[in-house]
Amino acid sequence: MSGADRPIPVTVLTGFLGSGKTTVLNRLLRRPSLAGAAVIINEFGAIGLDHLLIEASEEQFTLLDNGCVCCTVRGDLVATLKALDQRSRAGEVPELTHVIIETTGLADPAPILHTLMAEPELAGRYVIAGVVTTVDAVNGLMTLDRHAEAAKQVAVADQLLVTKTDLVSAEALSELQRRLKALAPTARQSLAHDGEADFDILDSQHLGAAGDLDRIAAWLEMAEPDCGPDCAHDHAHHNGHAHHGIQSYSFVIDEPVEWAAFARWLDYVAALKGEDLLRLKGLVHVTEQPERPLVLHGVQHVFHPPVRLDAWPSADRRTRLVFIVRDIPRETIARTLTKFAAIDAASIRAPDRTAA
Amino acid sequence: MPDADLVLTNGRIYTLDRKRPWASSVAVKSGRIVAVGEADAVADLSGPDTRVVDLGGAMLMPGIVDVHAHLMMGGQAELFELRFAPTSSFETLIARVAEAAAKAPEGSWIIGGQWGSDLLPKLNTLAALAALDKASQGRPVMLRDDTYHNRWINSQALRLAGVSAATPDPEKGSIGRDPASGAPTGMMIESAAGIVESTIARSGHYTEEMDRAAMAQSIATLNSYGVTAFLDAAAMQPILAALKGLDDRGELTAWSVSAMPAVEPSFMFGIAGDELIALRENYRGVHARPDFVKVFLDGVPGARTAAFHEPYTDDPILGCCFRGSTIVTVPDLIRWVGKCEKLGLGVKIHCAGDAAVSQALDAIDVVRSFNGPTKLIHHIAHASYIAPDDIARFAALGVAADLSPFLWYPTSFLEGHKQTMGEARAQRFWPNKDLLEAGALLAGGSDWPVMPNPDPWDGIEGLVTRRNPSGDFKGAALWPEQALDVATALEIFTINSARAIGLADTVGSIEIGKSADFIKLDRNVLDIPADEIAGTKVLTTWFEGRVVYERS
Repeated sequence: MSGADRPIPVTVLTGFLGSGKTTVLNRLLRRPSLAGAAVIINEFGAIGLDHLLIEASEEQFTLLDNGCVCCTVRGDLVATLKALDQRSRAGEVPELTHVIIETTGLADPAPILHTLMAEPELAGRYVIAGVVTTVDAVNGLMTLDRHAEAAKQVAVADQLLVTKTDLVSAEALSELQRRLKALAPTARQSLAHDGEADFDILDSQHLGAAGDLDRIAAWLEMAEPDCGPDCAHDHAHHNGHAHHGIQSYSFVIDEPVEWAAFARWLDYVAALKGEDLLRLKGLVHVTEQPERPLVLHGVQHVFHPPVRLDAWPSADRRTRLVFIVRDIPRETIARTLTKFAAIDAASIRAPDRTAA
Repeated sequence: MPDADLVLTNGRIYTLDRKRPWASSVAVKSGRIVAVGEADAVADLSGPDTRVVDLGGAMLMPGIVDVHAHLMMGGQAELFELRFAPTSSFETLIARVAEAAAKAPEGSWIIGGQWGSDLLPKLNTLAALAALDKASQGRPVMLRDDTYHNRWINSQALRLAGVSAATPDPEKGSIGRDPASGAPTGMMIESAAGIVESTIARSGHYTEEMDRAAMAQSIATLNSYGVTAFLDAAAMQPILAALKGLDDRGELTAWSVSAMPAVEPSFMFGIAGDELIALRENYRGVHARPDFVKVFLDGVPGARTAAFHEPYTDDPILGCCFRGSTIVTVPDLIRWVGKCEKLGLGVKIHCAGDAAVSQALDAIDVVRSFNGPTKLIHHIAHASYIAPDDIARFAALGVAADLSPFLWYPTSFLEGHKQTMGEARAQRFWPNKDLLEAGALLAGGSDWPVMPNPDPWDGIEGLVTRRNPSGDFKGAALWPEQALDVATALEIFTINSARAIGLADTVGSIEIGKSADFIKLDRNVLDIPADEIAGTKVLTTWFEGRVVYERS
């Protein structure tokens, strides 16, 4: 790893109690590609990194026997991340290549993302690589129904990892995957067998992180409905299971967008509905620079500074917005875009494949 | 029907109920109106235990609803503080402190006011401080000025507040100092006043009993002018506690709605915002309703702290093009309104300049656009300088125009505005008629003690004449095209304010089922020349059928 100033990717690993995140983490840490990764666990005393962790010492930082640093959050995450960076630069711990933050099973991952996105003391040192959420194939559906926290962990994910897949029928697994798709249409889904994930955690996912055209094209593709233009766009409702009011929907805007007005709308929606705006991803065709779309990424009331791409990822140059929300009707977004973002109502539409 | 407790007959009863504006009789049972009409409507309701009052043809109407008042301070001043006229000389002031000190227990605070601002240079010296120290005999002293912005305190108070030559000036304030030695003179300017006020608040000087007594005193004053419901527009914890305490004891003689400040105001001290709002249910009673939050969006035009679309007149410090500024951003205001709506709370937004009004309306527009309709009514307080395009937005957004204080006629405030805004703009003050014609809900309030007393009849006459009822500024009228008729002015101070504070089902008109809150007047205000309305005296005030004021 060269260039000490290149931001260190951070993966947030979350998942409800018993969903198998620690098992997955154990397996991931054995991969040679993760040598030099640091693991931050925000729940001291509940660490189950079997033999990798020699003992839960009083030291905040512990060197694991695979060369990874493990630390627990005492005080706040910002201080821990700053200390980790300083120690790495000072040579006290191996040079950092990646940071994995494992949340507690009940944690809302959004505040961790806010810290990484908005904390000025961390700016430039770390970048969000993605949110990985583990979902247990056996209990997943029930947990989603019962626990709002679990549904939110899924809703903010970039990568969903379904664990314990060997314990359920193919039918049950596909039902779960369908529900996950409804909650988080732009998240990639992977399966784990015996705790072994079929993806590479280093594979950067998070949109705010970089203007990777392939990735953007991929999530735009994922956001498209799979049931044609007449499909109800309230996926959760369509599937008959609204998880704690969480739903997702997408918009296509035909006309270029005036950025100042759109940014004002963003301010408003973040101020008033931030708590319920679980995730907003967008590719925006701005009037001022039609050749260079802006990538938007927000988690609740916090938005990444928009990233301006060098070019459009595909021939489709329409603005596309994907929302994962809690109790915000689709019409409310459409109405307020028209009113405050100066977008002609006629040009706001649901995505359809024929127009793409 | 069981016998009524109270029957009032032979009156000229103006009900403020548009379906039946006039009646001669009204009957009351258990504090509620059970019949309204002519004599026959109440004829069967009198029994042996019924008190029957012959109004003798006098005008009776519902109690006044004051949409904006600050109650605690007036009562405290009347009951517990040394009072002297702003015209008092330095010698008088020192003599009065000496008298108070002689009577005060050792160590107890002497709090008083209000000295005239013109005395400030004289008081701001070590010689004056020495005189004050001598008069106060070791007791801590704090004296407020007539603007309520500045305090003059003695050496013992400086010690208790921890202020010395080494103390730096606070932001937006200053500590008066001797030019030679730098020693504090006891003059605490603007935000420095907060240092001593909060010292007193923390010292436990005001006990809960004193707070209740002060509040009861203030409410008795309101009752004497006919007010039987009010909104306290900056209700800190002691005020909420006093209202609840009085209500629990059956001693609250008006319906009270409280607006809890979103941030600690410059003139009151203690917890505010989320911390205070979280406690609100502890302070809810039958007549005590902590149902609003107060947000200060800007300052006042006379101090160039109100936010305007057009610049103030040139100023040596602020330059040519200063427009004032808002102290809360639109997204923050949106956040506040959104949060309050989730909690079922209305928001009263102080907006003295037209740009502040625009921003408040913008924020409410955003909330309405996202959240759809609500039953809550938010207030733009001091809806006075309003851009023409904003007039229609009040009705469209369901926002109440809080008309307070009574400055819709020529006053010294207006003269101050002319200095800072220029004559023509200063005169476009209180477009009440335009708001009315645009369908806005207009609600009347006093902003007492900004108005030296909360006499609504002064405000009501002013709404009609646009001339100063006191006779000051003789011959001058403020934007007379905006005058309203008397019936409208009465609505503004009764049923409209009741709607605005969320009590329209309970107060504001004489209708069956509503609280028996009545006032008997010494004249029929609908039948007399408009310039005699301010002279109206309330003869009797009933609250829930009980006499709570009787003119002696």
